[in-house]
Amino acid sequence: MDERVLLVEDDPSIREVTALGLKGAGFRVTTAVDGREGLARYLHDPFDVVVLDVMLPSLDGFEVCREIRKKSRVPIIMLTARTDTVDVVVGLESGADDYVTKPFEMPELVARVRAVVRRSQAAPEETTLTVGPLEIDPASFSARKDGHDLSLTATEFKLLLELARRPGQVFTREMLLDRVWNYDYLGDSRMVDVAVQRLRTKVEGDPARPALIKTVRGVGYRLERS
Amino acid sequence: MPRRIRPGRLRRRLAIAFVMVAGISAGVLALGSYLLVRQARLADSLDRAQTAATFQLVLAGRQFLPLTEDHIAALKDAFEQRDQHVVLVTNGNAIASNPSFDLPIASELRGLVEAGRLGYERLSLGGHDLLLVGGKIPGSAAALYFITLEDRIDSDLTQLRSVLLIGWVAVLVIAGLVGRLLAKRTLEPVARASDAARSMAEGLLATRLPVEGQDEFGAWAASFNEMAEALEAKITALSDAQARERRFTSDVAHELRTPLTALVGEASLLREHLDAMPPDARRAAELLVQDVTRLRKLVDELMEISRFDAGRETVRTEPVELAPLVGAVLRARGWDGRVTVEGDWLELSTDRRRLERIVANLVGNAVEHGRADVRMRIGRDGRGAFVEVTDAGPGIPPEHLPRLFDRFYKADPARSGGGSGLGLAIAMENARLLGGNIEVSSELGVGSQFRLVLPVTQRLPGREGPVSPAPEHEARHLPEGGER
Repeated sequence: MDERVLLVEDDPSIREVTALGLKGAGFRVTTAVDGREGLARYLHDPFDVVVLDVMLPSLDGFEVCREIRKKSRVPIIMLTARTDTVDVVVGLESGADDYVTKPFEMPELVARVRAVVRRSQAAPEETTLTVGPLEIDPASFSARKDGHDLSLTATEFKLLLELARRPGQVFTREMLLDRVWNYDYLGDSRMVDVAVQRLRTKVEGDPARPALIKTVRGVGYRLERS
Repeated sequence: MPRRIRPGRLRRRLAIAFVMVAGISAGVLALGSYLLVRQARLADSLDRAQTAATFQLVLAGRQFLPLTEDHIAALKDAFEQRDQHVVLVTNGNAIASNPSFDLPIASELRGLVEAGRLGYERLSLGGHDLLLVGGKIPGSAAALYFITLEDRIDSDLTQLRSVLLIGWVAVLVIAGLVGRLLAKRTLEPVARASDAARSMAEGLLATRLPVEGQDEFGAWAASFNEMAEALEAKITALSDAQARERRFTSDVAHELRTPLTALVGEASLLREHLDAMPPDARRAAELLVQDVTRLRKLVDELMEISRFDAGRETVRTEPVELAPLVGAVLRARGWDGRVTVEGDWLELSTDRRRLERIVANLVGNAVEHGRADVRMRIGRDGRGAFVEVTDAGPGIPPEHLPRLFDRFYKADPARSGGGSGLGLAIAMENARLLGGNIEVSSELGVGSQFRLVLPVTQRLPGREGPVSPAPEHEARHLPEGGER
């Protein structure tokens, strides 16, 4: 493992200990002290994962996240200072793949970082799946609808791929958390809802009346067979 | 709710008293003046009749004596011509000058006259009021009685009576109207004060009374306002202090968050390298890791409390099966060996996470304090669903029970334990947020029982929503599928 992690955190102690923890887990860590520096570093060098604090001077975490998302689908983990639902949802909506609530223990953060890295890695052994107008190619990590590229983030791609592996089958939020985010019940089922919402805006013709990714009331989601 | 007092009773009583005072005074005055006038008129009439009689008797003595037939006839004529009716009594015969006034003369009067005195009598004859004044004609045994008609006096008095009666009734009516008005005016400040007091009780602390005039009500209104002002100032100060305290708690929790995040990260790294440390340092590092965990719990709870205070907590209701939830909580914390659960299958529409937190807190306390086994009962009664946690611990002294759910309250200060003293306060806040409550009963030496009561919502056949929805605190609906 030699993945490069960009850590954007303004508090020196948290920055240092987090960098220590990630380095100890085998990552190569670059740090930035505020939003502007973080964005500049990201644009300058390639990274495999971005760990982003929400409360940052000069440019807050949500802004940095949106800016990065305009150019890249690199996995992003937000560090939210509160267990505030609004913060979590805004973070996920601005394109984050996952979030960790402060205070956090290093093993927890390391596990999350590893999970998003794994998610973003292509699975070359798999063949292309076709469901209705959708064409999903795990080898090239790309998805197309009617021939047009959908430019999905790693999490969105993985989510679509999981749903497309068994079209018509209902996936509960817990199942999706387990298979897409790679951890069991620890996670927050709201992440699934927000990710599905984001996926719909890219996949559906009318996200308000989804034709492909259907909600199954009180259970979960399924992809229409065709 | 205070007893409703029917307004207007005092007003009516005041008005009635006013009318009575006015009526009695006017009545006494009217009656008195009537009697005085009547007395004066009758006395005056008698006086004149007596003067005239004395004079006429002397004249009669000069002109008509001795009383021969001719003289008697002349006497009668002479009086009749002057419109003065008389009765002449001579030798026991009564001769009236006018046949219509042939009246019986009372023997008492006759006796008086025969004794040589002037006497009078009042009598009515044929609808007329008469005054009879009699006296002896000087120089003879005969007596002459003069008749005065007093019809005029009587009709005057009758008229006076009706005038007085009408006047009295008018006084009563006016007194009634004025009394009502006066009573209303008088009691208006009382009604206003009553309204003001009620609105103060409802929390409108800025309520004041208008201070009108220099009377007692004015003074009263002024003191009422003083009281209201003092009360308002006190309560504002209290709520300000409380708000400050809550803001302080929230600020402290937030400020602690950043160093705590660093501490938690550091401690978690330290824990992984415990084995590589020399024994002394290792023990210290172990304690440090433990204490960071404790501090983290405390800050988490402080944050949670301050979110409750700010009203920022939201409830996400979903169907929750009670028994599996309790089972999951027990398993997750390794308590399943020490806790026995019995009860019915129950489904609630509630917030899963909050319910888990409450159950974990109640069972955690029971496991910590109850030496022997902990028993749980899940069920439903008339008030809703309940989760009962009973321990066989030392029990809680009764004086601690009322304050058990207060923040930072510890029944036994010596046994500080691992708890922050916020656990039960948070459990109670959560229970209230779910529309429920936590009740506690305890007996020293026997054990304690905590009972979480939650509202039950039911679906009617053919209906979509719950019949009695749980309190909706949902501030933000999570983005979900459009057709969900």
